[in-house]
Amino acid sequence: MIWQGKLLHIHVAPAASYEMEELTEAQLIAGRGIIGDRYYLGTGTYSPKPDVREVTLIEVEVLEAIARGEPRIPGLRAKLEPADHRRNLTTRGVPLGHLVGKRFRVGETILRGARMNFPCKYIEQLLGIPGLYEGLLNRSGLNCAIEVGGTIRPGDPILPIDE
Amino acid sequence: MASPRIIMKLTVVAARKEPGDVLVIDVKHPRKSLLPPFEPGSHVDVHLPDGKVRQYSLCGDPTDLSHYTIAVKREQAGRGGSAWIHETVAVGSTLPVSAPRNHFPLEVGQGPTMLLAGGIGITPIVAMARVMERLGKPYELHYFTRSRALTPLLSVTEQALDASNVGLHFDDEPETRQDLESLLSKRSADAQLYYCGPPGFMAAVGRAAAHWPDGTVHFEAFQPPERDGVPPEPFTIELRDGTVVPVAADTSALAALRTAGVLLMASCENGVCGTCECGMLEGRPIHQDAVLSKEARAHRFIPCVSRATGVLRLDL
Repeated sequence: MIWQGKLLHIHVAPAASYEMEELTEAQLIAGRGIIGDRYYLGTGTYSPKPDVREVTLIEVEVLEAIARGEPRIPGLRAKLEPADHRRNLTTRGVPLGHLVGKRFRVGETILRGARMNFPCKYIEQLLGIPGLYEGLLNRSGLNCAIEVGGTIRPGDPILPIDE
Repeated sequence: MASPRIIMKLTVVAARKEPGDVLVIDVKHPRKSLLPPFEPGSHVDVHLPDGKVRQYSLCGDPTDLSHYTIAVKREQAGRGGSAWIHETVAVGSTLPVSAPRNHFPLEVGQGPTMLLAGGIGITPIVAMARVMERLGKPYELHYFTRSRALTPLLSVTEQALDASNVGLHFDDEPETRQDLESLLSKRSADAQLYYCGPPGFMAAVGRAAAHWPDGTVHFEAFQPPERDGVPPEPFTIELRDGTVVPVAADTSALAALRTAGVLLMASCENGVCGTCECGMLEGRPIHQDAVLSKEARAHRFIPCVSRATGVLRLDL
């Protein structure tokens, strides 16, 4: 599959339930996470549950679909800001759903898709947006492992490695 | 289970001492011009560096979301949260503050509203009075303190509210005193009562309003009622699926439930915030919280402080 994408935003939160904060540059540590993020620090909602969650990604195309009102879900607010969705990296042009088990580059780092993210009701309560859980079903992004760490910045290219 | 709320790292933009050993703090969002909306009676959680969480009522104007205002009384005999805030927080500090939650909602009905505050209990009450004032609805605010010189938020109360709606009652000024029994003895049609203050005040208002009908009396306490000193005894919780959870005399029901693998959120762990509230199916509870109304005590339970005799079946 031939594609070429771009990193739009980087967000981290220092602990569970804290607002996400946008970074202009982030350090990814292989096997750990993003410095300053709750899943690097072990303070995330799901930190006690063993799983790969070193860095999480979501497609901006999903946010755009929600903004267009697709699908129609009663009460679902039309706008979900990149700081709201609680994934670390917002991407454009990256087929995240096809990258489970595949390696790909984000700037100088290499990530490996571990599993599709599954939305949680928690986020509806946290943001006060009813219907958001359904709105994110099957498109809430990808949980990844960091194979090669490094520095990433918004604007970095995202490129496939494994076919 | 209470909903999780977003925690924002807010910037302290003003901090001023008020009488009564109270620090009044204004916080703003560092990046957003507006904070999440709140209703009068709402509180926020302030997250302290040691992981503790303290609840403070929002006492500012609910229509001005550029900042939140809280008033923190230094509790000498407290658990250290208010002392930390008094000693550490200054203009420029960052304070992790949750989005607001309301356990003390004001229902603006047709009848008159009685607002009673004791000491620092003025914080949610003054926010309610601001709304009544703006809506032009009939209300009376009675503010009880020991002495004019020790009264927090007195200037705010006098500036924001029409003096004809406000009664100030100081223990050391006999001509200002107001007897609670006579104040609450007659209830005008459709009247609603809201009150907040320290334990002695809460008990006194509760007694004076005991004859008010169910559903007309609303309160919020900062501390659980004074315990009667009876040592706690072990009891048993039964879950919906039949699981039996023993609660030892020296353990809280909340701790026992968590040990048994029941996921319960909690915050104050002191019986005042209601985060760990759960449903109760049957049994003989010993309610020791300051959250549940008389009606709610028949079917709700606050496991961080409340106990029971024998077997208590919870809706968990």
